[in-house]
Amino acid sequence: MTEQIVIGPMLAAMASVVLTLSTRRFRRLQRAVSVAGGVAYAGAVGALVWRVVLGAGPAAYQVGGVEAPFGITLVADELSAFMLVLAAAVGLPSIAFSAVYVDPDNQAVFYHPLFHCLLLGVAGSFLTGDLFSLFVWFEVMLMASYVFVAFYGGEQHTAAALRYLVLNVVGGTLLLLGIGGLYAVTGTLNMADMARRLATPAAYGIDVEPVLGLSMLLFAAFALKAGLVPFQFWVPGAYRAAPLPVVAMLAGVTKKVGVYAVVRLYFTVFGGLSVEVDALGVTGDSPLALLGPILLVTGCASILVGGLGAVVRDTFEETFAYSSIGQVGFIVVPVGVAALADTEPLRRFAVAAALVYALHHALAKGLLFLVTGAVRSATGTGRLADVGGLAGRSPVLGATFFVGSLSLVGIPPLTGFFGKFLVFDAAVRRAAAGGSVGAVGVVVALLFGAVLTILYTSRTWTRCFWGARTPLVEDAVVDPAQVAILVAVATAIVVLGIGFDPVFEFADAAAGAAIDREGYVEVVDPVGGVEE
Amino acid sequence: MSVLLAAVVGGLFAIGTFLLHRRDLVKVVLGVAVLTQGANVYLITMGGIEQGTSDTVPVLATHGDHVPETADPLVQALVLTAIVISFGTTALALALTYRAYQENETMDVHQWR
Repeated sequence: MTEQIVIGPMLAAMASVVLTLSTRRFRRLQRAVSVAGGVAYAGAVGALVWRVVLGAGPAAYQVGGVEAPFGITLVADELSAFMLVLAAAVGLPSIAFSAVYVDPDNQAVFYHPLFHCLLLGVAGSFLTGDLFSLFVWFEVMLMASYVFVAFYGGEQHTAAALRYLVLNVVGGTLLLLGIGGLYAVTGTLNMADMARRLATPAAYGIDVEPVLGLSMLLFAAFALKAGLVPFQFWVPGAYRAAPLPVVAMLAGVTKKVGVYAVVRLYFTVFGGLSVEVDALGVTGDSPLALLGPILLVTGCASILVGGLGAVVRDTFEETFAYSSIGQVGFIVVPVGVAALADTEPLRRFAVAAALVYALHHALAKGLLFLVTGAVRSATGTGRLADVGGLAGRSPVLGATFFVGSLSLVGIPPLTGFFGKFLVFDAAVRRAAAGGSVGAVGVVVALLFGAVLTILYTSRTWTRCFWGARTPLVEDAVVDPAQVAILVAVATAIVVLGIGFDPVFEFADAAAGAAIDREGYVEVVDPVGGVEE
Repeated sequence: MSVLLAAVVGGLFAIGTFLLHRRDLVKVVLGVAVLTQGANVYLITMGGIEQGTSDTVPVLATHGDHVPETADPLVQALVLTAIVISFGTTALALALTYRAYQENETMDVHQWR
């Protein structure tokens, strides 16, 4: 009986919250505890992966011993494990970077507890098997991020935090509306039980039509969290305001929580539902038929808006904030392809492509935001115009930025190459199979987005790392501890790129878990819900 | 009962959305509070309000033989959680509003620099 391992990451995060709060008077100790907490989180995730992927298979933990569908269930399957690895891979370097980057006075009271709260919310969202708990864990994660956006307390920060908060409350309300509606329609909140009931609606007396609309309500809430066009407007303000290690987390991990929720709900929970779709000029027989075109359109729009926005920004933070709007597009386009796929292998392949791209983006964008932090603490500015010749001043810092941006562009053998390659492969397979104008248009949009990525990364590189040194760079003092952390992340990108096979196998297993509805139900609730 | 609740939910959402679009920051925060309360009433409605039995309302079994119409106990638990979360969020929003007032010396979002 090793189901208890499922709560490991959450316990590690929660213990870190308590310990960093209780050691706040001893600042050095608090920082050490916090980094140790990050290591413990990564360790717990590692143990979970060991159990779920390499050992006995998916596990479900029934909280308080109350069995599903009545109790709260925590489920760790390959998909959750993959997303947790992504969270730990960004979380650990970010927390270590915070300890040497954020002003010690600012760290003292609540920075570290909140950071672990963020990790706790992320782990909870990935592990929960209950729709309402998903809402609660989203709020835990968002509460911490509200405070981080307001962290520095200037007028721009307060304004950004208020906008971010109001928008997310509206998003949370939409989420509640969707969840409440689904409860009324299906009579359950447990995701596995709901999947079972939706697959055979007649047996449970379920009216299937409302589920389509409710699923779209949920999609709007998740798209807002993921920062997809047309819900992207909060992203630049919030990313400009929050401390940079936290921005690495926001861009790398919390955005992916929205994507994860879409994949989990649409493929696992609503996957077996057959309902007649006739909306927005789309006809089909499942919610996926409607989700697919919406994801493809919003994904392509995100790629264009983000890419075009990033090319004209004049600070590091804003360039990468717009860039992450564009990159989320690259993640949801293959999800859209998977939703429209008519064969099981193509669907599985496209979901795997999205997951690989999500991991690549988390690592690369996390690294780039941390590099921005290092540049900012060395020169005191993030304005592209005031920085120049950094590569000559600190070659190692330059090299880490180079690795991050090359990975973002997609140069082999870095992880970004495989991410982009798989995404293009999925889109081209769709275009080859269907051959419609829309499918070809998606490939064109992806190509255009890739060119824009090359434009803005090379623009940042030539302006800030090459060229004449500005006075600020001449006087810059680069912190070796910060650079060491950057080197570690850059090394991970290179190593994962060279030894890519296990990464793809893991993503493929996660994609298999995402579309394997019966398997998920079997893990959570082998006995089956009580018949009405 | 359901018609009445539907009207209440609709009204709360209308008021909340209207307040969210005001220029005065305090009204925006009030809009947030009203909107989340609307979602809570909606949750109660979605659970269904039915003629209770002494199984679902054990307390009332020993207080006379009449068991009134009651809401689904599960959604009541959910709404409690949602209320706590929306209270916390509203409190944080109010604190941020005060901070924004200190910095900009105005409550008008259009005059933010």
